[in-house]
Amino acid sequence: MQLTKGISIMDLGLCIESNLILADIHLGYEESQNRKGVLIPRVFYKALTERLAKSLEGKHFTSIILNGDVKHEFGSIAPSEWRTILSFIDFLRRYTDKIVIIEGNHDPLLKHITAKRNVSLVEHVSLGNTYITHGDVIPKDKEYEAAEIIVIGHDHPAISLRKMARVETYKCFLKGKWKGKTLIVMPSCNLLTEGSNVLSRKALSPFLKDREDCELYVVGDNIYRFGKIKDIREKM
Amino acid sequence: MITYKTVPNKPEDLVGILNPTILRWFYSKFKEFSLPQLFGVFEIHCRRNILVSAPTGATKTLTGFLSILNELVDSSQKNILEDKVYCVYISPLKALSNDIEKNLLEPLKEIEKINGKPLGIRIGVRTGDTTPAQKQRMLAKPPHILITTPESLAIMLTSLRFRDALRNVDWCILDEIHALAENKRGVHLSLSLERLQRISPAICRIGLSATVAPLDDVAQFLVGTNRDCMVVDVHFVKSLDLKVLSPVKDVLEATYDELNRKTYALIDDLIHQHKTTLIFTNTRAGTERVVHNLKTLFPKKYIEATDDDPTHVSTLIGAHHGSLSKRHRLMIEEKLRRGELKACVSSTSLELGLDIGYIDLVICLGSPKSVARFLQRAGRAGHKLHETVKARMIVLDRDDLVECAVLLKSAIERKIDKLHIPKNCLDVLAQQIVAIALEDVIEVKTLYDLIRQSYCYRNLPYDQFMQIIEYLAGEFVSLEDRHVYAKIWHNEGKIGKRGKMTRVIFMTNNGTIPDETGVVVKLGTEPIGMIDEQFLEKLKKGDIFVLGGDCYEFLHAKGMVAYVHAAVGKKPTVPSWVSEMLPLSFDLGVEIQRFFGNVNDIITANTSKKETISFINNNLYVDEKAAEAIYNYVKEQYDFAALPHTKRLLVEHYFDGEKHYSIFHAAYGRRVNDVLSRAIAFSIGRSQHKDVEVGINDHGFYVAYEGSINVMRALSLLKANDLRTALEMAIDQSEVLRRRFRHCACRSLMILRNYMGYTKRVGRQQVSSMILMNAVKRISNNFCILQEAKREVLEDVMDIENANKVLQAMEDKTISLKEIETKIPSPFAHTLILQGYSDVLRIEDKHEFLKKMHALVLAKIGLKR
Repeated sequence: MQLTKGISIMDLGLCIESNLILADIHLGYEESQNRKGVLIPRVFYKALTERLAKSLEGKHFTSIILNGDVKHEFGSIAPSEWRTILSFIDFLRRYTDKIVIIEGNHDPLLKHITAKRNVSLVEHVSLGNTYITHGDVIPKDKEYEAAEIIVIGHDHPAISLRKMARVETYKCFLKGKWKGKTLIVMPSCNLLTEGSNVLSRKALSPFLKDREDCELYVVGDNIYRFGKIKDIREKM
Repeated sequence: MITYKTVPNKPEDLVGILNPTILRWFYSKFKEFSLPQLFGVFEIHCRRNILVSAPTGATKTLTGFLSILNELVDSSQKNILEDKVYCVYISPLKALSNDIEKNLLEPLKEIEKINGKPLGIRIGVRTGDTTPAQKQRMLAKPPHILITTPESLAIMLTSLRFRDALRNVDWCILDEIHALAENKRGVHLSLSLERLQRISPAICRIGLSATVAPLDDVAQFLVGTNRDCMVVDVHFVKSLDLKVLSPVKDVLEATYDELNRKTYALIDDLIHQHKTTLIFTNTRAGTERVVHNLKTLFPKKYIEATDDDPTHVSTLIGAHHGSLSKRHRLMIEEKLRRGELKACVSSTSLELGLDIGYIDLVICLGSPKSVARFLQRAGRAGHKLHETVKARMIVLDRDDLVECAVLLKSAIERKIDKLHIPKNCLDVLAQQIVAIALEDVIEVKTLYDLIRQSYCYRNLPYDQFMQIIEYLAGEFVSLEDRHVYAKIWHNEGKIGKRGKMTRVIFMTNNGTIPDETGVVVKLGTEPIGMIDEQFLEKLKKGDIFVLGGDCYEFLHAKGMVAYVHAAVGKKPTVPSWVSEMLPLSFDLGVEIQRFFGNVNDIITANTSKKETISFINNNLYVDEKAAEAIYNYVKEQYDFAALPHTKRLLVEHYFDGEKHYSIFHAAYGRRVNDVLSRAIAFSIGRSQHKDVEVGINDHGFYVAYEGSINVMRALSLLKANDLRTALEMAIDQSEVLRRRFRHCACRSLMILRNYMGYTKRVGRQQVSSMILMNAVKRISNNFCILQEAKREVLEDVMDIENANKVLQAMEDKTISLKEIETKIPSPFAHTLILQGYSDVLRIEDKHEFLKKMHALVLAKIGLKR
């Protein structure tokens, strides 16, 4: 589904021209849960690569951009993070010749892993009038000032829909305005959790202080346009 | 083999085996041996396994201990008393100290006095509260009688040093065995007992139980597979004074306010006619509500005993239930023993044999839902041998009136409802196998045989057992990650412990009682009920929900309190919260239907009103006023539609202008109705592809839907043989499965409640458990722990076994179906329709649901495509 000229949603990813963006993968999530005494079996990496392989089949991208929080643990590198992050980079190389990773707030140690594959970390990527950044801080550089469209992750937007006794949560994209620019918020690619419900949870990103006017694009077997958050809150 | 002992020993037999010192002590305290003692003491002396079932206050505990004290005193006098544990005494109650004081320490002191010098007999208590120093002392000098709980026993058996003290134990006493046998604590204990018996092969097992049925099952639970057990059923007549009371003349016509006012006036009256009254409600919140209302309605008469002001001299009423602080509960118990309270209100916490002094009246507010529970509660009155048991059931509404009346009949005629013992619980099994592996390396074959010695696992299929071994060995994940998950190694037909943390993990996460936190629901300042955190999370401002039969609108929540206001007559927007309610026993439900059948025959035979009332009066042991109220209610249903009974299930179709309801008048209790309603809804969903609402209570259930659906066809498609498969699918997305999966994941050590010094909150556990459930489903929909959660929901929370029998009877036509159409719900359907729905069967998958919601959004907010 096209969000604006040249930008469209493809499953959990965002295509800008011939570039693919994925946000908040949080590889190593299970191991971090294991360390807290929740013995989740490690099924996520396989599920993610299977899902991507399906939607990326036969495609080739100018670049694939990972928009922050590729890794889950802040303070250490878990063995499964070594393994899965390296395999993930190899996996993505089937679909592109250029991988760019934007550093997220969970990624202070990521560079040690990505160095093994000669992928370096950047703070942002500019594609024409579009500025892509993780979203935990508001940048101050000139490219940002000049950009017309901002793409962020960080917030893991999702929406809980309720009808009678049934409640289901879905990942969703948000599209709104930020200081005269168009703002696009991407959902997390982590398949173990849907994310945080925009109707009840506070936003984390400084870009989302007021998100009531944001439009919802809900990810299911297709992408569904759901209108503004405030309308859903008031009328549903 | 289970054998019943029907003839007691003669007093001479007991005199013959008892040591002179013990005898002198006994006769200094008691005039003669009690019946349980005449039945039990000799057998225990001969180390024969025995189950003693007798009402509360029948000197059961001393029956258990007399032979053991005798042996210890005798050995001490002969100087052959060894430094070992002779007897392990296990009770479900943690607050043991008072009772032990009374039952053991005092007698021992008195015996020593008679003996003239100390006997050196040690009694030790080991619970979760025992300090490390006390444990050390016990290790150095093991107590001859060890008092403990099921959880602490499992830990002691796993502790390398304490295990040695548990070698060659002679006796093991299971007190209040009925309260353990019916849940996973008992299943857990049954395996601990096998572990104990492995190192104490000659152990004699003694079970002490309240009135319970079937005794055969409880006896087998006590001793395990293929061992002998003697059963003693002492139901000597404690004279019973049991009555059903209606607070108003006509419970059918009374308004809610009138009923409420008169109920409390009646309670107040009864309290003041007696010295000390014990009031039972069916929920914890109900307990709070009664205390609150008595205080507000009679401000000068009742001052509540609270923690803050323990010195208050004129406190007259107190609450006692599991959510209150231990300090508060102990204070209330102490005040009861000292006779300082006029009344105490409790839910289930005072049902068990805690010593609470003299009670002369027991009130059950609302039906106690099972005969065994009623007798247990009533038995708290006149807690002494040969004293009259005086108990009153106060009815809350018309269904309650019928239920209480039939319950009274069953109680007087001693038709005790059957208890359900959980079987093949895989989560408990996983936990205990870890414990066994911590002891030593063991052959898988030997382990399997050991497990099947427990009655709860006697039919455990080998493949299920192996699934648990594989699960514990981490074989569900790849080799390189296995070390994270594995708690045992499994190699060449043997297993052993794996991982240096495993012992600590077991010790800190042992047990089966799930953590629960309740959110108190308040109407102004009045507590009206409790819901759990997950339910609260789903509530939005303005939501209408049903709690304890009434509608409330959710306003806001503050911490662990949710504020509501009354929403009489409004339709619920979310399912009612029912989890805390006690279910009506299946057997009692059948008795209610049988009664309807009898009345049906009588009315159909053109019997006069007077004669019919007189029949009800005689048949049910209720007074004429109550008999007339029952008659009016039943006659109203008879005239309006028809009476349901054991041979005829009434299906009432009713359209409220929006939805079609098919109401099944089936008084099988909510555990069975939960199964039947979901099965029918699932069958509709599968054949006609629609979401279906279900509503259940103890007396029936309904399915409701939009548009036209052929319910009877859906019912006919449902076969008893496929019931389990259908239900497993039907509960796949349900809240109850999600909650139970958390419990099972914690018990099977997949979610560690206590880990690395941190304790996980319930809310956090639930979030983790949702992620975990999604992940294991990716491995297999039959993953062993998920399978166990489904088993628990279907067999323990619900009652698929009896539901299956009902369905089978419909197929065989021993139960016929009678369909009727009504313009307004029939009298019997009222309560059911009012309480609203309890769940919606989710037939659509997640994608379809989203599509539907999208269409709804488009329509509602007028979004352009």
